[in-house]
Amino acid sequence: MKKSLEKLLNKPLPVDPYLPHKVVITDVEELAPDHKKFSFTFLNEELNAKWHHLPGQFVMLTVPKAGEIPISICSSPTRRGTVELTVRKVGRKTEVLHRMKPGDLAAIRGPYGNGFPVEIMEGHNLLIIAGGLGIAPLRSLIWFALDRRHRFKEIYILYGTRNYQMVLYKEELKRLRERSDVKCLFVLDRCETAEDREWADVEGVLTALIPQVELDPADTYVAVCGPPVAYRFIGKELLKNGYPESQIFVSLERKMECGIGKCGHCQIGYKFACVDGPIFPLWDTKNLPEMI
Amino acid sequence: MEFHIERAKVLPKANLHSFISGLKKWGKLIAPVRKGEKFVFTHVEKPEEVELNYTRTILPPKKFLVPYRRERFSYSVEDLSFKTNFKAENQVIFGIHSCDLHGISILDSIYLKENPDPRYLEVRKRTVLIGVSCVPDEFCFCLATATAFPEGASWDLFLTDIGADYFVSIGSPKGDEIVYSQRSLFRDIEKEDLNAYKATTLKKKSLFKPEQLPDLERISHVVELEYDSEVWQEEAKRCLGCGTCTNVCPTCFCYTSVDVPNIAGTEVKRIEFTTSCQYPYYSLVAGGHYFKATRADRFKHRYYHKLVGYPYQVEMLGCVGCGRCSAECPASISMVETIKRLRGCNEKELREVTE
Ligand SMILES: Cc1cc2nc3c(=O)[nH]c(=O)nc-3n(C[C@H](O)[C@H](O)[C@H](O)COP(=O)(O)OP(=O)(O)OC[C@H]3O[C@@H](n4cnc5c(N)ncnc54)[C@H](O)[C@@H]3O)c2cc1C
Ligand code: SF4
Ligand code: SF4
Ligand code: FES
Repeated sequence: MKKSLEKLLNKPLPVDPYLPHKVVITDVEELAPDHKKFSFTFLNEELNAKWHHLPGQFVMLTVPKAGEIPISICSSPTRRGTVELTVRKVGRKTEVLHRMKPGDLAAIRGPYGNGFPVEIMEGHNLLIIAGGLGIAPLRSLIWFALDRRHRFKEIYILYGTRNYQMVLYKEELKRLRERSDVKCLFVLDRCETAEDREWADVEGVLTALIPQVELDPADTYVAVCGPPVAYRFIGKELLKNGYPESQIFVSLERKMECGIGKCGHCQIGYKFACVDGPIFPLWDTKNLPEMI
Repeated sequence: MEFHIERAKVLPKANLHSFISGLKKWGKLIAPVRKGEKFVFTHVEKPEEVELNYTRTILPPKKFLVPYRRERFSYSVEDLSFKTNFKAENQVIFGIHSCDLHGISILDSIYLKENPDPRYLEVRKRTVLIGVSCVPDEFCFCLATATAFPEGASWDLFLTDIGADYFVSIGSPKGDEIVYSQRSLFRDIEKEDLNAYKATTLKKKSLFKPEQLPDLERISHVVELEYDSEVWQEEAKRCLGCGTCTNVCPTCFCYTSVDVPNIAGTEVKRIEFTTSCQYPYYSLVAGGHYFKATRADRFKHRYYHKLVGYPYQVEMLGCVGCGRCSAECPASISMVETIKRLRGCNEKELREVTE
């Protein structure tokens, strides 16, 4: 063991990474049943100006009285002034949050996690694959790339949900579909209503869309986020279509309590999802068997 | 901290109680005391209460650096201002065995290397650590984890029993200050003291039986290679999932956090409490998905984190060979035995080879 331990003890007390900062809810938008998008502004002006994050990073949000939850930032760092979070109501803390209104106070610490390697992705094609709520962290990447459109080659967005009702950011995505500088392919598990049929390019599962993507896999970076079960199938299909596993990035969900490598809950093999991730290259699945 | 012979003194055993009494001046005194058949680290007033001939305490001294249940913050619901009621006290932990000192050094790395926790740092800065040499029992395997001796860990004083006296190594300026403040109790070292000190090192090594030591060479690699081994399943069959092994471990640090409002719902306390990777809900996320779904997954994970995870995170094994997990496990699961089985040999075979 190291003599350098002495150095650890001789440091001055650091800024408290556990201390959340007060925010006020400025807007709440209902996106789909049990899914709301919340906009937050820091009460501290300086923090508002200073706040910066990478697409794919998350925050620890204090829901007053209920507790802290990790939530991905769904707004793009290119659009400053508010932090947007899209939250699905699944349990006690998210339920309390869903009852909150504009003007209510909450608290945020972060941003945490590594985020997508956008600097490496720039200059290449970008293939974004989202399943369900997985579109939330990827929305940050989508707008980041579109706001710096000239830095990327082709951009594809593949998005799958259960039905049209569960589609998040409907208006935004409709407008994206009309843009010529980005290709959108939307899939629904099942097309039952007229709206479903109008929305979906394909009925079925996300993996069915992958062969339809016309990109040179060697020159493409892929970003994937979806429910845990989806990764295995999407990963397999991407590899089959020739995408290199070092260029496929997946955003993984794990139980998190601290966000800063102290509580242990988010362990994936020998790594911590909160500090080593939550974005991992698919290549890591070779080293971390329980990753997907 | 490195050992320097010029920094050593001798404390005659007759002066031990006076020395312990004098420590109270430096903070609240914590030391091992007897509790029935077992031993615990607890607050002591009188030096006679201290029991230095102990094997291992039930819980490691970790509990005085990161309490098993602690308040991180409180906030008022009205204005959401976070404040801490925390105040660190000066404390002296006396009589810590070498493995536990190394355990604390591992915690130092976890808490202070990246995203340093100011709370831990404050407590740690106010804590004096005084070690004492020990005699291994059948559960100890610190010789294999390279933690049988205090070198390389971070401590203030270390007392080695050399017969009629204690050989006192000084590991920090604070330790030096403490010795100086009670200098009349100490004498300078002589050649014989040094020889006696060296002899205790050899003697301690000779007390470990080969069959009680696991082979930890390239252990991270072995665990990776044996990821799909049957051994995990077989050992986990006996495991009750009680989490005792993690609770008693000097290096385990996992915790869960909850916000607890008062009755009126106006004030909320953020409470952190120790948890265990052996509990199913440890890895449960929304949608009801368990990432470590079976007992065997969780059983394996503990070994994996100790032997592969810690080396990746803090460049040290997460096990200091204290033997607590094996000594306290209600199912008599032994860390050493599991490692041996993973390496493809059992105790009987190993004994035959060495005999
Ligand atoms: C990096 C990351 C990003 C996330 N991003 C989003 C997002 O953008 N939108 C969104 O709606 N959700 C997101 N989540 C999931 C969200 O954190 C959980 O849904 C939320 O914590 C559940 O809290 P609850 O009290 O409402 O549920 P509970 O009643 O506590 O539990 C419901 C379920 O959620 C799980 N859960 C509880 N706490 C956590 C936790 N701290 N971490 C992970 N799972 C937990 C429980 O194990 C249980 O299965 C993200 C999680 C992580 C780790
Ligand atoms: S103490 Fe023993 S029985 Fe309990 S969880 Fe640990 S290994 Fe399993
Ligand atoms: S794993 Fe067991 S032997 Fe190793 S340090 Fe923890 S309690 Fe001690
Ligand atoms: S969330 Fe606590 S260690 Fe990752």
